[in-house]
Amino acid sequence: MTNTIQREIQIPQPREQVWRAIADSAALAEWMFPNDFAPRIGHRFTFRVPPDPKRGFEGIIVHCEVLECEPPSRLAFSWSAASLVDTRVTFRLEPDGDGTRIFFEHSGFDLTQPWCKPAMKGLEFGYSKMFEKLPVVVAGLAADHN
Amino acid sequence: MVVTLDREQDVFGAISHPARRRMLDLLALADRSVNTIAGQFQMSRPAVSQHLRILLDAGLVTEQRHGRERRYHLVPERLGPVREWIAHYERFWDDRLQRLQKLLAKKSEE
Repeated sequence: MTNTIQREIQIPQPREQVWRAIADSAALAEWMFPNDFAPRIGHRFTFRVPPDPKRGFEGIIVHCEVLECEPPSRLAFSWSAASLVDTRVTFRLEPDGDGTRIFFEHSGFDLTQPWCKPAMKGLEFGYSKMFEKLPVVVAGLAADHN
Repeated sequence: MVVTLDREQDVFGAISHPARRRMLDLLALADRSVNTIAGQFQMSRPAVSQHLRILLDAGLVTEQRHGRERRYHLVPERLGPVREWIAHYERFWDDRLQRLQKLLAKKSEE
């Protein structure tokens, strides 16, 4: 019962430019969240999803570690937050004419295991909280976006 | 709303045990009696019944009487919240990747 989110996106910009947007702390802060990312295998960092008191959301910290870093073609980091323990986010960039094809993958969603792991207890959000909060976060993000 | 949330927790709690996941796997193939299910496990009959009770309470299985025996039947729709959990993340990434595309478009205009 494992599941993976996969997306394939075609982008008119060349790989080097896409790489600068996904493997740079300031750029990541623009389209993801404030972070202390560094493009170095083994680097541990966090994404700080800010609180939104209006929606009763207290914020969340995503813990990550850079697992792969091969400019300009491959970036992978672990992703642990709330009910997700050690899932993996991967960006693979392939040249596509003058542009880039991004193969995005978020894998390691084990639909059953996270609830057995003692590590869960150490996380700041239990899965029940996640149910309450995540839809709010996603809705909030979508609203901010418009 | 709170009731729904508790129910969702039941489902996640119910599938958190490997024995209960195996029971669901068995029931996915066919309806089975408690004896048939118990035959697949090393644990005692009462322990098997206790696990089945948790699955029943979560609504993941139903029980039907057939003469003297009870048969258990999987209700796969009840796993909906589990799929929904992933769907939240799908929406999250779709939104983020859209932002990435906009950022790149903006940068290349500069």
